Amino acid sequence: MATQNIKVYRDLMGENEKWAAATRTVLAERRLAMINLIGSPGSGKTTLIESTARQLGARFRAAVLEGDVETTRDAERIAALHIPVSQLLTGGACHLEAKLVHEALLDLPSENLDLVIVENVGNMVCPAEFDIGEHAKIAVLSVTEGEDKPLKYPLLFREARAVVLTKTDLLPHLRFDLAACEGFIHQVNAGIPVFKVSAQSDEGLAAWTDWLLALRG
Amino acid sequence: MHEFSIGDSIVRSVIEELARLKTPPGALRSVRVAIGVMRQIVPDTLVFAYESLSQDTPAAGSKLVLRAVPVMARCTACGWQGALEVPLFLCGACQSGEIELMTGMELQLESLEVEDDGHAEH
Repeated sequence: MATQNIKVYRDLMGENEKWAAATRTVLAERRLAMINLIGSPGSGKTTLIESTARQLGARFRAAVLEGDVETTRDAERIAALHIPVSQLLTGGACHLEAKLVHEALLDLPSENLDLVIVENVGNMVCPAEFDIGEHAKIAVLSVTEGEDKPLKYPLLFREARAVVLTKTDLLPHLRFDLAACEGFIHQVNAGIPVFKVSAQSDEGLAAWTDWLLALRG
Repeated sequence: MHEFSIGDSIVRSVIEELARLKTPPGALRSVRVAIGVMRQIVPDTLVFAYESLSQDTPAAGSKLVLRAVPVMARCTACGWQGALEVPLFLCGACQSGEIELMTGMELQLESLEVEDDGHAEH
């Protein structure tokens, strides 16, 4: 049987984009900055949030949206800091989509808040695909993971506006080539800032939080 | 496994597009989708997701045809345009990192192939 071709040209991310745009509107109305932390499981995202919130203190009041496949363990860790936190359980999905984030954002207190930190599901591939309306995606990479990750996961490092390199206190014990890692990051995304931090010593945290303070403008 | 999210988006988009046709179309044979290479999609997984998720819908039994779109970029420093050798995002002429992607991020439903037993118009 003969067939005919019907041209469509439709963006498959259109639905997600709609929710991301709605989130951008809420963020603008409430004068909030929002960052999206993306990295592999165990890269130190939750620990980075803990030390970031501590460092920022009352200067820049943070709330956290915790994305996980299962359990509320991370949200419990954040709640211990006495800052607003909401756990987003994806029930198996490997990333956060804009609609879930938007609904959680609306549940956060609408006052006395400057920054929303979203911790995405531990994964370097899928979360990089989805716009959730954030001001910046942040790639979180620990020095125990190998310096060539930027080349293996180029979309994440291309979409990121900054990289936080965690666990730098371990560097003396590892064969991690820091210069090579920064070179790989900049081959994928020239000129983006790379913050080298240690949650053990707080080294490098001030530069990272200064950058965050400038985000809202 | 973002392939399942994207597969779901394809199925829902296809159903909506079929419903928008002025005259009811004949059976849906295939669906063509452009995927930029940057999207890190595993083609077989996406096809499997589409076939699973389209069962019991008007798109059931149709074939998902993927078109890979290479990464093309332009250099804002020297004006060079060309294909990039991902994961290196450097200008092919001056080696600058000041480049903008022109293609490679696509995620687009391009066309539907339907059996021509009526006069389907879009």
